[in-house]
Amino acid sequence: MFLKMIKNDFSRKKIITLTVFVFITMAVLLGASATNIVANLVQSMSELQKHAVPADITQMHAGEYNQGEIDQFTEKHREHIEMQETMFLLTLDGRNIHFGNNQTMAGTVQDISFVVQNKKFDFILDLNNEKLDVKEGFVAVPIYFMEQYDLNVGDTIRVKSGEYEKLFVISDYARDFEMNSSLTSSKRFVINQKDYNEMLATEAGELEYLIEFKLHENGDAQAVQTAYIEAGLPANGPTVGGKIFLLFNAMSDAAVGMVIILISILLIIIASLCIRLTFLATMEEDLREIGVMKAIGLSRKDIKNVYLNKYRIMSVAAGIIGYLFSFVLVNLFNGNMRLYLSSDLSGNLKYLLSLLAPLFVYFMIVMYTRKILKRIDKISAVEALRSDILKHEKSRKYSFPLLKNKFLPVHIYMGFRDVGKRSKLYMLLFLIYVVCTFIIILPLNMYNTMNSPEFSTYMGIGKSDMRIDLRRTDTITEDFKKLQEELINDSEIEKYAAYITSSYKVKNAEGSWDYMNIETGDFSVFPLHYLEGRAPVGEGEIALSYANASKDGLNKKVGKEVIVEVGGTEKSLTVSGIYQDITNGGKTAKAHPSLGINEEAILWYIVSLDVAGGADIREKMGYYQNTYDSAQVNDIEEYTKQTLGNIIAVIIAVLITALFLKMLLSKDMSQIAIIKSLGLTSQNVKHQYMAGTLLVLVFGIIFGVLASNYLGEFLVSMAMSTMGAAKIELVSIAWQTWLLCPIALMLVVGYTVSVCCKVTETDDLSVVLRS
Amino acid sequence: MSNILVARNINKKVPLGKDNELHILKNVNLEIEEGEFISVMGPSGSGKSTLLYNISSMDRITSGSVEFKGSEISKRNEEELAKMRLKNMGFIFQDINLLKNLSVIDNMMFPALVSKDADKNAVNQKARKLLEMTGIEKLADNNITQGSGGQLQRVGICRALINDPDIIFGDEPTGALDSKATEEIMSILADVNQNGTTVMLVTHDAKVAAKTERILLMKDGNLVAEKKLGKYTAKHDDIKEREESLMKWLVEKGF
Ligand SMILES: Nc1ncnc2c1ncn2[C@@H]1O[C@H](COP(=O)(O)OP(=O)(O)O)[C@@H](O)[C@H]1O
Ligand SMILES: [Mg+2]
Repeated sequence: MFLKMIKNDFSRKKIITLTVFVFITMAVLLGASATNIVANLVQSMSELQKHAVPADITQMHAGEYNQGEIDQFTEKHREHIEMQETMFLLTLDGRNIHFGNNQTMAGTVQDISFVVQNKKFDFILDLNNEKLDVKEGFVAVPIYFMEQYDLNVGDTIRVKSGEYEKLFVISDYARDFEMNSSLTSSKRFVINQKDYNEMLATEAGELEYLIEFKLHENGDAQAVQTAYIEAGLPANGPTVGGKIFLLFNAMSDAAVGMVIILISILLIIIASLCIRLTFLATMEEDLREIGVMKAIGLSRKDIKNVYLNKYRIMSVAAGIIGYLFSFVLVNLFNGNMRLYLSSDLSGNLKYLLSLLAPLFVYFMIVMYTRKILKRIDKISAVEALRSDILKHEKSRKYSFPLLKNKFLPVHIYMGFRDVGKRSKLYMLLFLIYVVCTFIIILPLNMYNTMNSPEFSTYMGIGKSDMRIDLRRTDTITEDFKKLQEELINDSEIEKYAAYITSSYKVKNAEGSWDYMNIETGDFSVFPLHYLEGRAPVGEGEIALSYANASKDGLNKKVGKEVIVEVGGTEKSLTVSGIYQDITNGGKTAKAHPSLGINEEAILWYIVSLDVAGGADIREKMGYYQNTYDSAQVNDIEEYTKQTLGNIIAVIIAVLITALFLKMLLSKDMSQIAIIKSLGLTSQNVKHQYMAGTLLVLVFGIIFGVLASNYLGEFLVSMAMSTMGAAKIELVSIAWQTWLLCPIALMLVVGYTVSVCCKVTETDDLSVVLRS
Repeated sequence: MSNILVARNINKKVPLGKDNELHILKNVNLEIEEGEFISVMGPSGSGKSTLLYNISSMDRITSGSVEFKGSEISKRNEEELAKMRLKNMGFIFQDINLLKNLSVIDNMMFPALVSKDADKNAVNQKARKLLEMTGIEKLADNNITQGSGGQLQRVGICRALINDPDIIFGDEPTGALDSKATEEIMSILADVNQNGTTVMLVTHDAKVAAKTERILLMKDGNLVAEKKLGKYTAKHDDIKEREESLMKWLVEKGF
């Protein structure tokens, strides 16, 4: 009996039911995928941790070192410390490591060191989570570099530093619990003890120490750290707690999970709105139905159950489908985790944890339905006291009288006033349009921001027509000279400036030396927007990127001194300004040419130029690209404009509009028939509904655009700040946000309305009007 | 007097299930003179309403022809028919069928405001005059839920009259009203007819039909008989007499 009624209800509201179902299923699918990712993350992390046995406290140190002192300290604090081991790091600069076709790892923001596998703990693993055991002549390369430089097992790398030169064959990926993440700025290459000894003997790199402690289960890390400092033991570098590695490792996958969960929540909201819409739109019809059910002797509770069961059945079906398919979907997101954390993601926690998503969605939907049903309950209870409703209505003022309308055709006005009269119903549509606009505009703004000339400012590049990059090759220096000569003689070039980036040693906040890429040249030609201060145009001046100037970097303000080593001598530079840069890890600097160039450490040359009026930029680009092998010539790149967000938004807009109108039209069937009997055409009726819908759409677009401009900018700024930008101002191109997108949406929605209205054109008008 | 509406051999069939159809109107012929006050009686289900809606362009006839004011209308397109309903015809229903979200006076003015060059002041004045004539001026700005059936049916009549139609069609306009309200409505309709508007009513109430000029009897999709009583005026005619004669005729015809 119940089942038959539910089936009846399903078939009466096919489209709406299907749509609600799709949204619920999607919400479950994404929610389950996200929890699946989290489960995999938790399990593979704990698995990795079990095999790698990371240190609880790691003290970095460079300089004098005495193992005896450390041993003494360890014995003294045995109640906390289980094991101690010191790892010896031979640190090398990226340019000492050659691979592939004349390439080097120069310019990497990572500190590179060569190590031998530990004996007691903090093991570096292979992709099977086995302890690495590297043979002579072989090397295990950190996953980060394998990915970054597209290396494979079996490839070779050549280490060339001073007198030392040796070819290593890559035997393994190095999965390094402590330093896997791109957020940790050091990476460890694992080699054999014999190779290491040889490297050490020829002083191929600088020696650093990782003084590592593994504590007992109840060991107090804080106590050990304090005691360590008080004992005056070697501490010429930062101390790192064990927890931070966990965090870094989880970060990128957790972020993916978070984004998916957010989308899933958005879908649950849309599904709820749809359910509410169903109830609001079909209420009258349902009330009649409820009357019938009462007549055949069903109690109120039974009646409620009919509706509740419908959504129960839907949620259960959606839950099962979403849950099962999440295991397929999740594979799209697991690549990163497979590589960095665990190749084997067969842990079974995910089966349990992803059950949370369907359960959560089920309870949300059922709870929401219950809440709505309560409202229906109230109405049907009051219905008997119809006069109460009438009294209530009497007190309400009559709004939008027809004579108020001065300019619009009356049917258009009727469409508009309907929005005011049934604001609750239209509010849902409005919210959905806001979401759709947001989904369209935000990616559009981001795309425009990235393509705008101003965006170069975030990348630490002054505005120019064109930019030629000369990347490291054997002929780079000659190319650069030739290019400059040619540019001087090219009458079609209005102005140009050449910049050289090389690697320098810079004294960091702790007083030790870091490598930093500094660009030198004339920075007055193509001015850059400085957050603080100005360009380094005077002798002995340097400008720092935001990330470099911040606390995590050199911690320098404008006017402070920075010590840089050039050609073996130390030079003191004054910070003239701070700018935003999200390239190269956000840590860059620009200096006046008086700094001088580290000849052997040149990374790349850049020439920025403006083309004289009338000359063809494209042609110029083609010419320089072809003439110089090492050149990479860019103007504002043309990406494909189509983003996934647009499509999803348009589909949601069409679907919901169709749904909304279908329900509105069937609800208004008799009113439409009356209007037609009075002498309005189907065309008039269509325009009436179009007017109302488009009015709502216009407001939806306005709010959606504002939301993406302000809220979106805030979100993007937050995301970008992790990359080293202080504040991103989204570029919104007015004709796109206020003209193109609205027109596109209006056309789509308008078309949907007109298609939906077609259905109402039945031949015989009287059917609805007879009693 | 010329005919305002002439129906010839009209048939109406509606599909019933997959390969079945219901033949509701069977070769019906009907002529209505300009200024006539006519009513259609007959057992329920005999096709009275169907006849009314099919000759008034609201529904499409299956075959036959309908001439309105001398020209064929059954082949006209939707837009032309809509325009005709707007300008030349008025409808009143048993269910009244007012627009929910409009006040009483807005419901009345709505059809007049549809044409682009409507003079809003004139429309408003005319609506007020109609309200006065039907005795519901106090209701003007009320919501349509705040009125008795009789009052609301008067609103329906006012709406039908707002564009000065040539003919008013009524499908049992008094079907849901008590006898007092019925009398009031009939007296308004008589006045309307007195002013020259043709009126055609469908009714199963002999008291209502007795106040009309000519009564048609419908049976099973056919017009089987008609009775002419002549124009009724309260002053000169004895309503009891008309009712009795009509009843006698109806019994005679087997109704
Ligand atoms: N659109 C329709 N579809 C199916 N049957 C209909 C339709 N319109 C009318 N009928 C049927 O035709 C018959 C005549 O209807 P109607 O004209 O309303 O009769 P009356 O008004 O005389 O009571 C009835 O049996 C009714 O059920
Ligand atoms: Mg009828």
